[in-house]
Amino acid sequence: MAMSASDLELREAARAWAIRVQEPAFDGWDGFTLWLESNPSHLEAYELALDDAAWGGEMLASAPATVPESQPRRQWWLAGSAAAAAAVAVVGGWAMLDRDAPAQRIVTAPGEHRILDLADGSKLALNGATRVTIDSDTPRQVILEQGEARFEVRHDARDPFVVLSGGTRLVDAGTVFNVVRDGDALEVAVAEGSVIYQPGADAVTLKPGDTLQLPGKGARPVVGKASPQAIGSWASGELQYDKPSAEQVARDLTRSIGRPVRAAEGARRLRFTGTLLLGGKPEEVLARAGPLLGVRFVPDGEGWTMSPAHGPPR
Amino acid sequence: MSRDQDISGLQRVILNERGRLLRFLAARGLGDDAEDTLHDLWQRVAAAPTQPIADPLSYLFRAAENLVRDRRRSTVSRDRRHHDWHETSVPSEEQPTGERALIARERLREVQTALAALGPRVELVFRKCRLDGLAQSAIARELGVSLSSVEKDLQKAYRALGELRAKFDAE
Repeated sequence: MAMSASDLELREAARAWAIRVQEPAFDGWDGFTLWLESNPSHLEAYELALDDAAWGGEMLASAPATVPESQPRRQWWLAGSAAAAAAVAVVGGWAMLDRDAPAQRIVTAPGEHRILDLADGSKLALNGATRVTIDSDTPRQVILEQGEARFEVRHDARDPFVVLSGGTRLVDAGTVFNVVRDGDALEVAVAEGSVIYQPGADAVTLKPGDTLQLPGKGARPVVGKASPQAIGSWASGELQYDKPSAEQVARDLTRSIGRPVRAAEGARRLRFTGTLLLGGKPEEVLARAGPLLGVRFVPDGEGWTMSPAHGPPR
Repeated sequence: MSRDQDISGLQRVILNERGRLLRFLAARGLGDDAEDTLHDLWQRVAAAPTQPIADPLSYLFRAAENLVRDRRRSTVSRDRRHHDWHETSVPSEEQPTGERALIARERLREVQTALAALGPRVELVFRKCRLDGLAQSAIARELGVSLSSVEKDLQKAYRALGELRAKFDAE
């Protein structure tokens, strides 16, 4: 009967969707569709969550409540201050974080963006297909298991903010930075302030515009440069580039539109410098991006292959 | 389908957003029945009273979700009728009514104990949501807690119920 961690995670995610969809004001239907489409097991888990809740409702309908009804009115000021405190601590999306809660794993569907407001005032923007774990016992620490996140960290020299990913530790020194975890590969880019990579014997300090790439486990970090305002720009609905590689563009588009985009073999660096806007359907994003990048997007299975507009046919 | 002036505003939204709605219905497991269900939806909104709807597309997605659930419920109850017919044809395996009632009471107690162990609000929030049909935002206001606390209580309740149901099914 033991369930694997990924099974448990899937069921948690399915229950979270069942709860969100239940709410009359829910309007994330496209994100919900994408989540259902991304794996056939998602629908099954969602139906199971609905059935479990319906079953529980039927069970309880046959019995009186064993819990007291709402608090008496004279305690209004207490309830009010609790609500106010909660509002100060966390304002934002549905995945808000309570102090007394256990570690929380937050998963975005491909193509879904989500902002998390942490209790300490730091802000986390999650790109699509991303998995992070946050524990209220260690509020200044986030585990990035997969995907991409942009961190806007409230700095506190006595209690530095730490991002863990694979075997890597990143410690902020007051900053905005972007982290991508793709399998074992890791990429860090700093927009503001500075980040210390893997404090210890081989620490590297990254300044604005610095990037650090770790191609895989045990590989040596490669330090590079990027334009600071382009770093994490996906979080504001655009992708900024300065002559990017075709692979990077393909990867960014995949994460942002939620459908696979591959760079054709032998694709090189693109000559494009500027901004791509991410709004609209995947087809609309690609229709706008193609002429700017000087590429064609050819439908390929569920997604597209990106090849040079004037190159030879595939 | 019909001439422009004969269709309602909601039907116009269905025409415009047909692709998104169909994609949702297919993802919801309807496969070939997605078109059929969209047609059901079309007819239902034609019969719906004409009142202003704040977010027509969300309204249609919600209606589509409800249609999927109705369809599934009727399939399940048809299967169950079939199943029950087989059960009653083998009466020797059936438990006496008194014993069944005892098991049901015992299970209910176990459900309530499990929910109580998760915190003082969990059963109350679950009841208000599932039995009284209150919105989570309304429950949060009523109890003076944040919406995220309500969501988290529901998540705990759903998780515990799932575990118990799996356990009972295995018994």
